[in-house]
Amino acid sequence: MHISKAIITAAGKSQAHLPLQSVVNRSGDVCTALETLLNDVTSAGIEEIAIIIRPGSANEYRTAAGRHAERLSFFEQDNPRGYGDAILRAKRFAGDQYFLHLVSDHLYVSRTEKSCAAQLIEVATREQCSVSAVQPTRENQLASFGAVGGSPVALKSGLYQVTEVIEKPTPTIAEQHLIVAGQRAGHYLCLFGMHVLSPAIFELLEKNIAQLPDGQLASLSDSLNRLAHTQRYLASELDGVRYNIGEKYGLLIAQMAIALSGGDRDRVLTELLELVAKN
Amino acid sequence: MQISKVMSLSSSTASASANLSHRLIEIITSDDTSTRDLSLDDICQSMTGSQLLDACNALDDFRRSSKNLYHRVRALFFLFAIHRFHLPTHLAGRECGSIPFEGFEHLLQRRFFEAIREFLAAQAITGPSIAISSALATAYHRLAFQTLADQVRKSVRTVRGNQWMFRTGHPADLPLRIRKELLTTDDSGAYPVLRERTSVRMDFSHSGWSDIFFLGMDFPEGARVINASIDLAVRGKHGQPQPPIDCGLRIIDQPVLRLVSIDLDAAADITSLAEVYDFGRDYLGLLKAAVIASGLIPPGMEGCEAGIESVLSQLVGPGLGLEIVSRVNDIPKGSRLAVSTNLLGSLISVCMRATGQVSQLTGPLREEDRRIVAARAILGEWIGGSGGGWQDSGGVWPGIKLIEGSKATENDPEFGISRGRLLPKHHVYSDQEITPETRQRLQESLVLVHGGMAQNVGPILEMVTEKYFLRSPAEWEARQQAIVILSSISEALKAGDLRRVGQLTNENFAGPLQRIIPWCSNRYTESLIEQCRSKYSDRFWGFWMLGGMAGGGMGFIFDPACKAEASEFLQEAMLKTKRELEQSLPFAMDPVVYDFTINDKGTCSELEPASSLPKGYFELVIPALLRQDIQMLSPQRRAELERVGRMSRNDSTSGTSASANGGDLQNSGAEFARRLLDRILPAPAKKSESVNSLDQLLHENGFDPIQHEQLREDLLSGRLGLAQNRLATSSTIEDVTPEDYVDSRQPIESRWIEQAKQSIASGEVGVLTLAAGVGSRWTQGAGVVKALHPFCKLSGRHRTFLDLHLAKSRSVGMQFGCFPTHIISTGYMTDSPIRAQLDRINYAGTKVVSRGMSVGLRMIPTLRDLRYAWEEMPQQVLDEQQEKVRQSGRAALQNWAKSTGQAADYRDNLPMQCMHPVGHWYEVPSLLRNGTLGRLLKEQPQLKTLLLHNIDTLGASIDPQVLALHLRRQACLSFEVIARRIEDRGGGLARVNGLPRLVEGLAMPSEAEEFKLSYYNSMTTWIDIDQLLDVFGLTRDNLDQQELVDNSIRQLARRMPTYITLKDVKKRWGNGQEDVFPVTQFEKLWGDMSALPEVECQFIVVPTLRGQQLKEQAQLDGWMRDGSAAAIEQLCSWE
Repeated sequence: MHISKAIITAAGKSQAHLPLQSVVNRSGDVCTALETLLNDVTSAGIEEIAIIIRPGSANEYRTAAGRHAERLSFFEQDNPRGYGDAILRAKRFAGDQYFLHLVSDHLYVSRTEKSCAAQLIEVATREQCSVSAVQPTRENQLASFGAVGGSPVALKSGLYQVTEVIEKPTPTIAEQHLIVAGQRAGHYLCLFGMHVLSPAIFELLEKNIAQLPDGQLASLSDSLNRLAHTQRYLASELDGVRYNIGEKYGLLIAQMAIALSGGDRDRVLTELLELVAKN
Repeated sequence: MQISKVMSLSSSTASASANLSHRLIEIITSDDTSTRDLSLDDICQSMTGSQLLDACNALDDFRRSSKNLYHRVRALFFLFAIHRFHLPTHLAGRECGSIPFEGFEHLLQRRFFEAIREFLAAQAITGPSIAISSALATAYHRLAFQTLADQVRKSVRTVRGNQWMFRTGHPADLPLRIRKELLTTDDSGAYPVLRERTSVRMDFSHSGWSDIFFLGMDFPEGARVINASIDLAVRGKHGQPQPPIDCGLRIIDQPVLRLVSIDLDAAADITSLAEVYDFGRDYLGLLKAAVIASGLIPPGMEGCEAGIESVLSQLVGPGLGLEIVSRVNDIPKGSRLAVSTNLLGSLISVCMRATGQVSQLTGPLREEDRRIVAARAILGEWIGGSGGGWQDSGGVWPGIKLIEGSKATENDPEFGISRGRLLPKHHVYSDQEITPETRQRLQESLVLVHGGMAQNVGPILEMVTEKYFLRSPAEWEARQQAIVILSSISEALKAGDLRRVGQLTNENFAGPLQRIIPWCSNRYTESLIEQCRSKYSDRFWGFWMLGGMAGGGMGFIFDPACKAEASEFLQEAMLKTKRELEQSLPFAMDPVVYDFTINDKGTCSELEPASSLPKGYFELVIPALLRQDIQMLSPQRRAELERVGRMSRNDSTSGTSASANGGDLQNSGAEFARRLLDRILPAPAKKSESVNSLDQLLHENGFDPIQHEQLREDLLSGRLGLAQNRLATSSTIEDVTPEDYVDSRQPIESRWIEQAKQSIASGEVGVLTLAAGVGSRWTQGAGVVKALHPFCKLSGRHRTFLDLHLAKSRSVGMQFGCFPTHIISTGYMTDSPIRAQLDRINYAGTKVVSRGMSVGLRMIPTLRDLRYAWEEMPQQVLDEQQEKVRQSGRAALQNWAKSTGQAADYRDNLPMQCMHPVGHWYEVPSLLRNGTLGRLLKEQPQLKTLLLHNIDTLGASIDPQVLALHLRRQACLSFEVIARRIEDRGGGLARVNGLPRLVEGLAMPSEAEEFKLSYYNSMTTWIDIDQLLDVFGLTRDNLDQQELVDNSIRQLARRMPTYITLKDVKKRWGNGQEDVFPVTQFEKLWGDMSALPEVECQFIVVPTLRGQQLKEQAQLDGWMRDGSAAAIEQLCSWE
């Protein structure tokens, strides 16, 4: 398995401008959130990247992509029918290859030298199947994420066989279907916003959209749930953390996390403490 | 150890004993059903006292060390049964024993382990006795139930889907969000209403109450129920049957939780989190339990200091709130249709739908959703301090279903703890299994009724559980039979044979159900069955008991050809029979007949327009809104008022949408306006009949207004009160010594016995049965006449207390050739019903009614007395959640007393419930005042002795052996006492300041003192008439001088202490609803005659069987099983 393509979705109503925000990266340089994301992706060996955008926003993205602009292909999502539909727009781009998929409203901070995308691709390549990155998440955050249920893969720490995927479950539903052995009480494996998926996902997305009543939006989770029932599908805890920059203070917290994980950690920390002391 | 001194064992019997103990433990632990289902009774029958004690030691060790919960529980029940039923028969002569007060206190505080330790230590020191065994039996029994209840509670908490709610402790943690559909407003800015309509469940058979959680979890193979979801209509009042439960949920534009119960006429805007967990303060406890159990405000948040607006902000949105409305359509309590559980299920379902916890926002629920709703309903019942069986959420499911217990597997939280799972599995019968034609025929043949009785089924469920764990042979066999009957009912339904279904439900009721619990039937029900059988013969196919017991919801199956006529007939027959029995049995309402249809959808929901709220909503809330300044109302409320205004003006356009959705505005504007007007403006004031009749009744019954005012003054000033009942703390209370009493079981010279026999034969002895009181504890203040309660089937028929006492006199008459004169003393409430009943009893001797001549008017309690009763006097602490509900209810009652006026007259009830009898001391003077004794002595000058006894002392009889002791001593009063057991509380025989006398429990200087006493006052008294008249300063010759009699009584009355007591009184309202209020009344008690120095008293120890009293219906089963009933039946001669 060689994974050389990535699909990034950025067409969501509230998502469109998030990747264009400026952030300071781990080295202290100012760049856009999109560029930070692309840095991670390309460092993981991805050569071609598709971005699903709202119609008419390609130029902004191209500009925001900086040195990665040449690798990008843009797919405009007109008549949008949800997240699942957005991915489907890049079906031709992906062809019959496994591909990396990320959402554009998250920033990922790896705890190791290897980026989160690289870690995920490594797992998928080793396991030769679709893998979603997951992060143990407290139940009070369930309303913001898709979550997976399953069982740990023997002798492989942080790797799980997925049996069920539910989008934004209530804890009532999560407790009944998504309990994973070894997790702390009240914690569930929630999607990280980063997946390596087999091309079979496109067929499942198409079927899903075809069955949906008019006006209802297609999620990715429904198709991932079906994927779990049709082929081997794993979830992997990565050595990193995702930050949703679309949430209130999300960008600020992500920025702090990036800064504190970089080379100038001590300086940033000192400044922060001074700030706290002054207030 | 002392035990070994009392019952020493030889080495050969020691090994036999060890074998038997081992055998009992083997029964508990065996996986082989042929061993596990062996009966304790069978094995214990052949055991000696020593062997039983050894078995107790072994079982106690076992229950301490066993890791298996159900093994421990069964061992506890074995220990209970041995101490309650088996050991006492081996302890003749060892009745008395010192029950340590510390143990009793542990018992009250639910520290059962410690209580058992204290009692066992006492047993080790003083040796076994019936007294200690009674204490141990109680402690083991309660510990067994506590262990079971704890387990169910734990299981409910650990059901997947429920656990998170106990972890969510702060609004910021709340993971639920209201669904967007409910936040979408219409053009006028109004939010839609999510309406949930739910049916109730009607069970065909529950295989001998196998739906009790404890049974289902231990014996899943035998836990089987068939029930149907049904819609109802009251015949002649409603139209087509509808789901009787109707709930609504909507967003409101104020950050409050608004709860509205239309049928209970209650609404509240809840503005603090603490109020959500306060169940007893109003009638909204069930709605609050639903809010908590559905996770909207989860149980883990109790005690959080955040405001409710922060929860609502998280859940619904800033500045917004939630309104939840419920309505139950005309089904009163006691319907046996599990209304409260299904209402809880309906409310929980609508709340869970609204927050996406179940998959379907509208329409029926999916199976997995129904299961989680049912689990939450169980949780809600626990939170609300009530309880139900696992079949009770049946209305949430559709159609007819078989519900079965299921074995716990490795993935279940119950695995390794109980054999079965908490939640059963439901198999909904398809149309192929039970055809639509059969369902239709069922509707055409079954007459479903509410007989009007509302009784607490709790004690029955406890009895069933106890008998199950003991595997008592008759009951266990009956259980097997009930399981077979259920299968046969299933087959008959599949075959479409409704006649057979009727035969089977009838067989179930007449056979196994009554064999397991005889108390599930009553005279009322049996009379109705007889009437149906007599009128319809073979066209009456059978009786059908619903739920836990008969008398409330019931079914009668007829040939469809005569169902309509039979419905009419039953309506009349029930009303007529109720009129005949309403003084004897606790009826809460007039009986009704229901029309019903089977609901094929189960609980079902729809998203409806803003105005579509359950019927009666606007009538309930609009009057309160009109009292407010319209400018202060929220925009939503103002818009609502405008809508209601348009509708009232008969503006058809405004109500159209609501009408289509069956909302409140469905009726014509004029009709709606009339209903609204009725609520807003009071109806013309009627002349208050009840006030007039109360005053009239008081006047007619010898009410003394001057004494009443004095009493009020004394209560308010603190001269009288619960605390003042007690003897001075300087009084010394000691147990009596053998010279203070005589023992009736000791031999007595035959000449005295001969004299006693002669005395009986010559008509010198009469009986005085005290029946002026209503026996508040017997029916929890329902106000029925205890003497006339047909409490037990003896010789094949339900007998009343009165029947039984006369049967004993009849037997004496037949034995001695002279039927003793039998006097029944009555009070204002019991007089006419007792007279009517007495007329119907055939008795060859003289039977006389002596009407009480004194009555009191109940008062609102003082806060001081309420606090004293609840905080100072020892009382049983309830299970955790029930105690919380009780405390909250008590706070509400204190507010009631404060706002109504302390020591004010209690007049807000039926006149009879406002008055009170003034204690049994007055019943003897009344004999003098009303001339009964004077007349009798003229007619029967030979009459010398009276045997006075309480209505509930069933063993009291004219026994020559005891009479001989009375005659020998020539005492004025010979009081009978019995060895005190733990349940015999309320005073006893004591040396007070060195002199033996009877002391009332109310007068004990401290509770601990009572536990020093060996003997309990049975109240049965042999009276020497002439000596008693002398105490009053009277003779046989001047009894017709009324003034002299009145004066002499008044003088003696002044010397008798006055006790203040709190009694529970039921107030009935609405549709079968009941509230219980504590009210103050005063009493003078007969036992205090023993304190008068001039009265020559004697105290006779009699066997427990003779002196024990039946105070609560929960005692009946033990009374039956321990041989008391059979022994008393021996004393009777029936007509």
